[in-house]
Amino acid sequence: MEQKEYKLNMLHTTMGMGPMVDQHWAELRTAKQRGEKVAWAAGPGFILPYAMKMKCHFMAGYSSYCAGRRCGDQVIEAAESGGDLVDTCSYHKLHTGMFYAVREGIPIKEEVVLPIPDLMITARLCPEQSHYGEALHQRFGVRVIGIDCPIPRKKEDFPKLEEFVTREYKEILIPVLEEICGKPFDYDELRRILSVLKETALIRNECWEFFKKKPTPWTLWDYGVSLAPVVYMMGKPEGAIYYQRLKAELAERAAKNIPALLPDGGKYRLIWDGWLPWAFLGRIIRKLVRYGALPICGRYPWEFFPHPEAFDPEAEDIIYDLVKQWYSGQEILWHDGPEGAVELNGKLIEEYSIDGIIFFTSKTCRLWMGQQDMMTAIERKYGVPGIIIEGDMVDSRMISDAQIDTRLQALFERIDGIRKRQPF
Amino acid sequence: MKEILERLFMVSADPYKSVEGWKRKTGKKVIGVFPMWIPEEIIHAADILPAVIWRGNEPVTEGHAHLPPFNCGLTRSFVDDAVRGKLDFMDGMVFYRMCLQAVVLRFIIERHAQPQPTYLEHLYLPPVFDRSPCLKEFLIEELETLQRGVEGLSGKEVTVDSLNRSIKIYNENRGLLRRLYQLRRAKPGLLKARDILVMVHSSMLMPKEEHSELLKGILGDLEKKEPPTLVKGAKRVIVSGCLCQTPSLDLLGLIEDSGMAIIDDDLYIGSRYFAIDTDVNGNPIEALADRYMKDEPVCPTKGEWQKNWGDYLIDMVKRNNADGVISLLVKYCPPHLCWYPAVREKLAEAGIPHILIEVEHEVTSLEPVKTRLASFVEIMTGRA
Repeated sequence: MEQKEYKLNMLHTTMGMGPMVDQHWAELRTAKQRGEKVAWAAGPGFILPYAMKMKCHFMAGYSSYCAGRRCGDQVIEAAESGGDLVDTCSYHKLHTGMFYAVREGIPIKEEVVLPIPDLMITARLCPEQSHYGEALHQRFGVRVIGIDCPIPRKKEDFPKLEEFVTREYKEILIPVLEEICGKPFDYDELRRILSVLKETALIRNECWEFFKKKPTPWTLWDYGVSLAPVVYMMGKPEGAIYYQRLKAELAERAAKNIPALLPDGGKYRLIWDGWLPWAFLGRIIRKLVRYGALPICGRYPWEFFPHPEAFDPEAEDIIYDLVKQWYSGQEILWHDGPEGAVELNGKLIEEYSIDGIIFFTSKTCRLWMGQQDMMTAIERKYGVPGIIIEGDMVDSRMISDAQIDTRLQALFERIDGIRKRQPF
Repeated sequence: MKEILERLFMVSADPYKSVEGWKRKTGKKVIGVFPMWIPEEIIHAADILPAVIWRGNEPVTEGHAHLPPFNCGLTRSFVDDAVRGKLDFMDGMVFYRMCLQAVVLRFIIERHAQPQPTYLEHLYLPPVFDRSPCLKEFLIEELETLQRGVEGLSGKEVTVDSLNRSIKIYNENRGLLRRLYQLRRAKPGLLKARDILVMVHSSMLMPKEEHSELLKGILGDLEKKEPPTLVKGAKRVIVSGCLCQTPSLDLLGLIEDSGMAIIDDDLYIGSRYFAIDTDVNGNPIEALADRYMKDEPVCPTKGEWQKNWGDYLIDMVKRNNADGVISLLVKYCPPHLCWYPAVREKLAEAGIPHILIEVEHEVTSLEPVKTRLASFVEIMTGRA
């Protein structure tokens, strides 16, 4: 049988994201020269320094930027020359490496240099985020403030966790922000940012609807590179403008039935469960395209961040409203745990007509633990097969093409086998 | 003394047999607790034996169907034991969120442990961070959750009196272990590191009352004994790390056979386990929370950044007039991995010779380690 040749049909709008994020990080890099206060943040909580008009870095955002700009290996090498070990979280090493390189005069690309922060906010959603704060404080003298954001094991625990995290925001984080900035916490600015975010997210959601279309006019990778306006560039009106353009391009494609995968939209619709492989997006999508497969949704870019459309900028207790979205509001942290992940992937399978799941597990990050059991549970319940690919978001030493190729082949053979067994 | 040591060695070497044997003999219940900070006293006060979960004595096989090979040895080995039914004598298991690898354990156990433990708990013990009141109050709520859980399992109420009694029993055992370590410091070579490790590890697996009685017998004998003369030029070292899990006895033996005397340690199955007592007062749950919130021993799993683990080690080196530090890093242990560079920098600044050895659950070749240890001794000798 003749093998069909597929080709990725790139969107034009996403090309505009590169200059936007470049500008964001350049503004951050030069903030101190303009006398602005700078915060670094990991995990939930980074919206609060924005409300105090601090320039704010976001750990995963910087990591994806650094990896996307092909600087990951260079900065990780600097980290390891400073004592970090090969198995340590790559995101952690990008930050200690950047710091160490600047301190020791090790050359790294200017575009990924960060300013030394006035404050590091580490929200312990992942315990390694706490270690990240420890390392910056102990090794580089950065002032660190910690917030614990436990991943719930039972939905019944939501109320007590919401109360606990709200107290931490109010009793620990906000007083420190007030002290550093020398002014009371700016609740009005927080409400303004949330309003802009909400507006941006509502347009983003209209874009998401196009993933349900068969064939899909765009891919999860396209959404991955479009994350910044709703994740770490919050409050900027450019975000809404970007998503408006994206929506228009997707609507045009949908109207003309133009797929993301030429010529006919491909054969397999996939969930990508886990971090996006920031340094290897092109390398991996090319492998998938050869099979006529596209990732179209996934736990990380889909549900990892609270959907801003659910925020109520007018809520009486705006901090509680913010915290609630991680727990009972949208169950974001529930989906980070294995029980919630099975539930969410099941929902995505049905809503987005999924054929298979790729579980991407990072050798240096254990946030997505339990994928072996999730894979079995999902296949039993929904009849959708999965594979696990081991790799890393940044570190090229952790990526094995042969392993990925073999497992992808196995996945598509299994999907084909299931289809053959179906009566129609 | 020899008989007691042999008995403790059997408990440590084969916890499955010893803990299950205790259960059969007494008809009481057993809860496996995840190391390192779950207050065992609460479980003890409910008349249940808390047994600290251990690294198994076999290679991981079926466990790798549930966890990747790049998880730490303890979690892989524990899951392997659980799915193979080797922990079927445990009536309960208690985990907490000390690291990401621990987060998933309850999920796997609920689906695959044979049979299912009656009581499964995942506690949200918070980090200590800046010791704000909201952290401590939340911690107290979690300890009360544990209290209610064990009361439900045992059918026995945990009262202020019973909990204070358990705290006293635990404090006594800690005090005896500290006495043992004082002796080790005063008379280097009196006990091999493997004997010390067995004495601490067995304490995690036996009723504390019984263990304390055995320790008293050993201490009485040891206090009268003179140590053998150390090998001329033997270097005094401190072994640090190996969080959560037992170091290999062979490795400890190799260190001692390479011209070093381990005069103190900073191991979890070592001085970390008994370093601090719990106050006995009118509110024992709060006293247990206060123990957890203390800043020593500096623990990389607790969000402690006001103190540096390296400074803690430097103090230990000075107190013991030690020549160097050996860090045992459990492969794929994120807290230790992340903290290690800070420790390394502190020790280097203080001019203290230091070596890192990565350890695994699976047996690794000791020959390269032997060469590295020989070089380390030469480095320390060169500095003397």
